[in-house]
Amino acid sequence: MTSAEVAIERQGGAVVAHLSGEVDMTNAARVREELLVSIPNDALALVIDLDGCRYLDSAAIEVIFDLARRLGRRRQELRLVLPPGSPLSRVLMLTEVHSVAPVHETLDSALAQ
Amino acid sequence: MAKLRRRAHRYRDEVATRARQQAAVAALGQRALAGLPLEELIEEAVGCAARELRTDYVVLFELTGDREGLLIRAGRGLPGGTIGGVISARPEQLPGYALRAQGPLVIDDFASETRFQPSPLQRDLEIVSALAAPIGTPHGQFGVIGASSRTPHEFSPDDAHFLQAIANVVGAAAERTRRDDLIRDSEQRFRELADTTPALMWMTDAEGHVTFVNEAWLRFTGRTLEEELGATWAVGAHPEDLEGLLDAWHAALARRGEFNTEYRLRRHDGSVRWVLALGLPRYEGEEFVGYVGTATDIHERKEMEDALRESEASFRELADTAPVMIWTTDERGLVTFVNEGWLRYTGTTLEEELGPSWSLGVHPDDAPAVISSWNEKLAAREPWELEYRLRGAHGDYRWIADRGVPRYEAGHFVGYVGTAIDIHERKTMEARLREVYEREHTIAETLQRSLLPERLPRIEGLEIAARYLPAGRGAEVGGDWYDALERADGRVALVVGDVVGHGLRAAATMGQLRNAFRAYGLTEASPAEVMARVNRLVISGEDEAMATVLYLVLDRETGEVSFASAGHPPPLVLSTDGARFLEGGRSVPVGAAEPGIFREASAELPPGASLLLYTDGLVERRDTPLEKRLNELADAAGRAEEGLEGLCDSVLSSVLGRQVPSDDVALLAVRPRPVTTEALRLSLPAEPESLTGLRRRLGRFLHAAGASEEEAYEITLTVCEAAGNAIEHAYGPGDATFEVEATFESGTLVAIVRDRGAWRARRGAHRGRGLKIIEGLMDDVEVSTEPDGTVIKMSRRLAA
Repeated sequence: MTSAEVAIERQGGAVVAHLSGEVDMTNAARVREELLVSIPNDALALVIDLDGCRYLDSAAIEVIFDLARRLGRRRQELRLVLPPGSPLSRVLMLTEVHSVAPVHETLDSALAQ
Repeated sequence: MAKLRRRAHRYRDEVATRARQQAAVAALGQRALAGLPLEELIEEAVGCAARELRTDYVVLFELTGDREGLLIRAGRGLPGGTIGGVISARPEQLPGYALRAQGPLVIDDFASETRFQPSPLQRDLEIVSALAAPIGTPHGQFGVIGASSRTPHEFSPDDAHFLQAIANVVGAAAERTRRDDLIRDSEQRFRELADTTPALMWMTDAEGHVTFVNEAWLRFTGRTLEEELGATWAVGAHPEDLEGLLDAWHAALARRGEFNTEYRLRRHDGSVRWVLALGLPRYEGEEFVGYVGTATDIHERKEMEDALRESEASFRELADTAPVMIWTTDERGLVTFVNEGWLRYTGTTLEEELGPSWSLGVHPDDAPAVISSWNEKLAAREPWELEYRLRGAHGDYRWIADRGVPRYEAGHFVGYVGTAIDIHERKTMEARLREVYEREHTIAETLQRSLLPERLPRIEGLEIAARYLPAGRGAEVGGDWYDALERADGRVALVVGDVVGHGLRAAATMGQLRNAFRAYGLTEASPAEVMARVNRLVISGEDEAMATVLYLVLDRETGEVSFASAGHPPPLVLSTDGARFLEGGRSVPVGAAEPGIFREASAELPPGASLLLYTDGLVERRDTPLEKRLNELADAAGRAEEGLEGLCDSVLSSVLGRQVPSDDVALLAVRPRPVTTEALRLSLPAEPESLTGLRRRLGRFLHAAGASEEEAYEITLTVCEAAGNAIEHAYGPGDATFEVEATFESGTLVAIVRDRGAWRARRGAHRGRGLKIIEGLMDDVEVSTEPDGTVIKMSRRLAA
């Protein structure tokens, strides 16, 4: 069983979603739902913290693109947190995730924006 | 698949045979524990061996009194008149040879046997193959049990182990019978002794209340039995000694240890006498039931010692009128004086005793200790004290407690003065009590050892090490066990358990539980289900058994574990990240409630991690909180050297130190063997759920190949993307499968994914991301279309 957990916290104007575990084609849809319902209309941004995330596949990356598109329509921003040296870095770069969501090295820097 | 099933089938048969044999040994052991007469037990043992081994003959020989012959005591399949006959016990023939062997002997074919010559019995019975096991007792050989056939018969190591277990149970029962006879005699003597002995005797219950005092005690204190009973026996103690006495008594009672103290006791005439009180814990079966003790009047000896310190002159006068045995030496340790009491005891003359000769009457077995301790103390001029056997006037050896203190005149050391008292009755009683008690210990330990696997099964892809440490002498054996087996679903079940209680019954219950877990544990049931089934079995049984158990199922390839803990301490995982306990999945012990609600939890072992399972004898100690002991265990395991054997040894030595454990300890360590880098070949159902398992297997393979964390992730992702494509394009749900092959050669990893559909690049921007990933992360990608499907071959050179 592939399992991922989403923990939500409110940080001022932003909602922080700590995504941990593994996301692949079997659970990407569920993760997407959980993230979508976590963002109230008054939030300015959604910050997805990928620090505890061990595996993302193309279905998971598709979720990020999809979220960025939906949030953009609502004038809300999507930001990602990925610590330097994370095994996921190269894959996010290859798929050009940064074109739809800025990638920060720390949560603080993502919230400071 | 069919091959796998066949293998599982054969394995199940072997396990079933083995479980049946163990159940048979457990049943026989229980009959022995229940006190079945030896004659009947031997009959059952022979029947049991015949049933389980299915040979033409089974024979049990008993060594004759002169140790020259072997009496055919029981058998199966033998011609009439054979039983009762005696054959030679010479080692040149198989029975005599087996009698002296350390373990079971397998003779595949007598024709090619060189170790011994054929015996007449073997010729008469036309025996071709045989299995024989020696029956030993702590006091020497008892006999041999053998199973043999007229046609070639292949005995497995399990068969040999089984027959030896039967022999061990017979040996333990024979030993018990011997001791029972001894004890029955001494029981009689004990009762007579109790009321005729000048020694004061007392008994208490488990709470320490007096339940019995003998005639001598009543005569001494002048009180009635009614007055003595129930109260603490410290009544009548001198007020100044009371506190010390009660402290010593409660300390002994708390640890159920030996009790030994000197205090002043009020006599019926109002005078106060020094007595030496000694107490030993008593057990009935496995239950502590109180103390039996003595009090010896040592008043004269005490007086004497005091008097000695005061005046040499008055000493000699006093010495000869005292019933105590008294002696003095000069500064070189040569005897200068012994009193009348000593001479009466030894039956010697004063001349014989003087000089260096005083150790002459000491029992030969005790002489070395007497001489060395005496020389050591004399050189240091320190007080000397020892209990040993000294020959009496009638040539019989009796135990005495002897002690000497250095004496000085005007500041100069002038020698020793010593006193000795006869403690023979007390010693005899102590020895008798120990025997009663050790008899149980021995038989339970024998049974327990017979039931534990001699060596763990070899399980492919899994390293295993185990330790079993019985509690120290003087403690009772527990019902701890461990087990490891391969389940029908290809996963491995590990069991560690501890039956509540000690002694005979716990050891027998352990045997049954072990078999129950073998039976249920082999199925594909989840850990909580296995627990629930065993629980039902235990609750419906006659014995009120209870046990804490940890049942864990491990997937060797993915490192996934799921487990249920029935009141058992948590398993420990050791990896490069350090040591951590697997929490969760906890519920009440097995046998505690029906229906039992059993929970389970799961976790994942990081690649290369080891798993340590243990029983609470390792972590439980009365004076330390459990949490602290668990932390100590984790620390010790974290520091342990490489390898599972080393892990077991370092854990035991750092957690237990040099001390012998006070409770049994079972320890089981396993580690999935690193997947070899030879090749990984998998055939998986074409469904998304296959991806998780594929990732784990690949992860292990890549870890073994030396890939970095990032490389492992990227390659796994690539292969899974290709596999995801295969899944999406499969013909639909049902039997469709896809195949993955990974090889690692000269620094390059090659992965091949085969499916039975046509490759199609995913359409749309985001659909193309999978392909982008595959191409971006691999050095080389080839897609080829074959008649029955698509093959994607990818390769990447690893950095290291």
